[in-house]
Amino acid sequence: MTKSPLSRLIAEQRRRQAGPLILAAAAAVVVGAGSTALLGLSGWFITGAALAGAAGLATAQAFNVLLPSATIRLLAILRTVARYGERLQSHAAALDALAAIRPRLFAALAAAPPREALAVSRGEAAARLVQDVDAVETRFVRLSAPWGAAAGIGMAVALSALAGIGPALAILTAVALHLILARLLTRRLSAPAGAAIQVAAGELKEALAAFAAAAPELKVYGAQGPALDRIAALGDRLDALKVRAARAQGLVGLLEGALTGVAIAAVLALASPASAPLAALAALAAVMAIEAAAPIARAFEQDGAAEAAGERLDALLRYTSVKEAPSSVGRPALRLQGLDLAPGARLALTGPTGSGKTTRLEQLLGLRPAPAGAFALDGQDGAALPPTALRPAFAYAPQDAALLAGTVRENLKLAAPAATDEALWGALEDAALAERVRALPQGLDTWLGEAGERLSGGERRRLSLARALLRDAPWLLLDEPTEGLDPTTEALVVARLDARLRLSGQGLLLVSHRPAPLRLCERAMAVETVSPPAGSAISRRMIEPAKS
Amino acid sequence: MTVRTPVETEILTLARPWLRSLNRTTSAFSRAASAWRLADVVGAAGFAAGLAFGVDALTRSLTEALPFLALALVSALARGALAAKATRAGAQAAARAKAHARRQAAASLLAPGAPRGGAAVTAVMEGVEALDGHFSRFAPARSASAVAPLLLIGLTALASPVCAGVQLFTLLPFIAAMALAGMAAADASRRQFLALERLSALFLDRVRGLPVVLAFQAETRVTTGLAQAAQDLSRRTQAVLRVAFFSSAALEFFAALSVALVAVYCGFNLLRLLPFPVPETLDLKRAFFALALAPEVYAPMRRLAAAYHDRQAAESAALTLARLPVPAPAPAPLDLPTAPEIRFEAVGVTYPGGEAAVFEGFDLVAPAGRITALLGPSGCGKTTLLNLLTGLAPLTAGEVRVGEARLSEAGAFAADLAWAGQSPLLLAGTLADNLAMARPDASREDLEAAARAAGLSDLLDRRGGLDAPLDERGGGLSGGERRRLGIARALLKPAPILLLDEPTADLDADAEAQMIEAIRRAAAGRTTLIATHSEALAAVADQVVRL
Repeated sequence: MTKSPLSRLIAEQRRRQAGPLILAAAAAVVVGAGSTALLGLSGWFITGAALAGAAGLATAQAFNVLLPSATIRLLAILRTVARYGERLQSHAAALDALAAIRPRLFAALAAAPPREALAVSRGEAAARLVQDVDAVETRFVRLSAPWGAAAGIGMAVALSALAGIGPALAILTAVALHLILARLLTRRLSAPAGAAIQVAAGELKEALAAFAAAAPELKVYGAQGPALDRIAALGDRLDALKVRAARAQGLVGLLEGALTGVAIAAVLALASPASAPLAALAALAAVMAIEAAAPIARAFEQDGAAEAAGERLDALLRYTSVKEAPSSVGRPALRLQGLDLAPGARLALTGPTGSGKTTRLEQLLGLRPAPAGAFALDGQDGAALPPTALRPAFAYAPQDAALLAGTVRENLKLAAPAATDEALWGALEDAALAERVRALPQGLDTWLGEAGERLSGGERRRLSLARALLRDAPWLLLDEPTEGLDPTTEALVVARLDARLRLSGQGLLLVSHRPAPLRLCERAMAVETVSPPAGSAISRRMIEPAKS
Repeated sequence: MTVRTPVETEILTLARPWLRSLNRTTSAFSRAASAWRLADVVGAAGFAAGLAFGVDALTRSLTEALPFLALALVSALARGALAAKATRAGAQAAARAKAHARRQAAASLLAPGAPRGGAAVTAVMEGVEALDGHFSRFAPARSASAVAPLLLIGLTALASPVCAGVQLFTLLPFIAAMALAGMAAADASRRQFLALERLSALFLDRVRGLPVVLAFQAETRVTTGLAQAAQDLSRRTQAVLRVAFFSSAALEFFAALSVALVAVYCGFNLLRLLPFPVPETLDLKRAFFALALAPEVYAPMRRLAAAYHDRQAAESAALTLARLPVPAPAPAPLDLPTAPEIRFEAVGVTYPGGEAAVFEGFDLVAPAGRITALLGPSGCGKTTLLNLLTGLAPLTAGEVRVGEARLSEAGAFAADLAWAGQSPLLLAGTLADNLAMARPDASREDLEAAARAAGLSDLLDRRGGLDAPLDERGGGLSGGERRRLGIARALLKPAPILLLDEPTADLDADAEAQMIEAIRRAAAGRTTLIATHSEALAAVADQVVRL
């Protein structure tokens, strides 16, 4: 069986983080063995001391107190230091590993076919991706746990063997039963409960989305009562399922208690032929063995979720970016819906809402699959060209502005990493935004918050326009660039755009409802309705369940 | 000692009090969860006693030890059962708290300035679920850890007061260490948690921005940026981790120290070789009992430490939940004899949390009894204007007058509005139930007339009249039919003002034309505001305002 991409990635990071991981595992071994030894030795020591003390002063003085008591103290300190080291090293390793895995995932996502990549980048799916990555981190942090558990159990078996083979076997059996039964219990109870929880959570989310979408209607008709009741009922069902899952978890705890009891009784009974101190040692070792195995047994519960997260990440990591030299495109001619556009031409795309104007632009950019013959670039069918051949030809200002969480500069430089400040200000001037940016506390370096929330809708749009202007591409694709602008600003932006296009000789494809920018275009074309928007099946269902 | 970041201050002043107030709703179950955890003290004592007497009896014979072994077995079993009970009660407490928080959060979506769309779902869904661990694990563990260690030390004192003294002696410095350095450690650990959250947020932002990243061929640069940010975080937080894990190291140290001290003291006492006089002479039973209980003293605090992450997640979520606006009580209907004029005067709208105003100094007069169309692309604020009247958008400046009434005094005019939007809410029930939502006292004739006037005749005939069953997802209804259902509701409610939000979006030309007819009927005699993209729909308006 070939390894999945995620396990390969994790294996690679394990190799790279070998140092900290080995340290963490070694520390875990010290903790596990030390904890068992500390309690076992203490039991042996005081039982022995009691017997020696009872036998009289001479025997008591002959009893070697220094070695055991020094060992006990040493173990106490060792265990502390080792536990601290284990946590530090395993978290450090996880952080570094994640620092490598996150970018890799992003690169894979960027290399995935557009339909799939964009489905993941929206709404619910994006949030889940982040959670899945966190699940990988948890997995990394826990890599040292089995070592600690094995050391604890191993030490218990070794110590109890001093009291005879019987106690040692009893401990081994108890631990094995503990792990096997816990595994069975989680398979039988927790896994189905987990699946049911997923379904219930999905339904609750759908109801919430419908509720949020219908908020005005609910207020106007005073009908929030029943709608809230329905949300409460779905929430209660989800919670009831979680309580049921907690019961399964409780059963694992009960199992732990039962096996501890049985193991103790069996070990003491089997160890009775040996001396009492050794029997005490074996009994306490048995307690510690079950305790060492407990975290492993309890973690079985998360296996299902971790597996699902791993599968989703694997599905993404299949894609690797193909390194291609950026093909220089020159100034290609464009053919759209049978219409030939020479380099530098200006075309307005018209048509009612929903007719697919934006979809057309996204097809040009290779963000959506295009039907054969939909458009051609320098005579080559666009549907057959890879995105890397299409994208250099276009600079895009999308309808929703789509700013990144970052500074003004970072957002602008997304389009032109090498642009000078002068060029940035020039683009801002042309987008009629320079004055506003100058007034910001740190100018170009002002942090804009998530999705540019420090700017108004119109300002975001103009920043997005400035970004598109900065990109040195033969065709500009502008989707509603002046919506939300007052007529004066709009006129200014349009005039600057005209001047800029004359100077650069760039072509323009414009989607707009407004007359002022439309006057820039020498031609207009009605968009033929394209097939319903594809690529967002997942998020549409999650976000807009109200639509049938 | 440490400078608090604004987020940390908010956690102390906003998130914690909010969580405490929620705690009160869970009282019965969280008390039960704590009680089961406390009852474990008895189980621990039984187990320790069984072991101590068992080992002691074993020095004589196995048969003598058997009853004590049985005691240990039963105690261990009881402890397992108690843990199961505590887990279950904790889950129930969390269910109770979440149900309360969920209802509150869902209701707040109807308040002015509440998050909309995907953000609303995330706030209610993820926010409320993040509270789970706090109530199911952290809170019971915290209350148990306040009492259980002292009870266990008390039980130890029955066997050996000196051992109990030793444990108190280790516990007190531990608590002092926690109080002094522990706060720094907790701060560090919270900082670490927030840093990781920020890194996740950055990753999420870049994933969401993927379309532009691809369009600008910036994949490699953004990937490098992400790697850089993650490496920076990793480097910066190594130091924070060293402090953050301090509290667990201290816990570990004092737990191990207390076992070691008890063991060594008991050994020397039993050998009668203590270099100093003590007021007790131990035997094996007492010594072993004290030893077996020693690790238990710190177990509740370990459980608490393990649940610390749950608390941080809940505090983070509580910051969002506590800030959700509180819905105002529904306003009484105005006394309007005819359709009123609606005036927007220098209106400003700024959503909480967003710095930018959606509107500033906006003026508009919607003439009485006429249709006014608001035309503009999505996101320009058309819906916000309608939502000022329903009380979903916050009026932050200026005034909206409906006749003589002022929005700044009334809060909302919901009782005087009829509404039809893009995605009418469907309730599980019959078509009649769904229509009657708009006017519960309407007769069946009224309902049917409204449905037919809205263009639902086809549906009525096809599905067998008003008693046709509908489910919440609108199975079997087309997009157009769902809109018409909304129009039918608007027709039913005898309100003087009609608001329509994108009633024809995504409809084909024929469906749109039919819809416009229905809208014309619904608007008769009312002051109507329509938010739309559609020029065709705007053409029926008496006044068109381009935003």
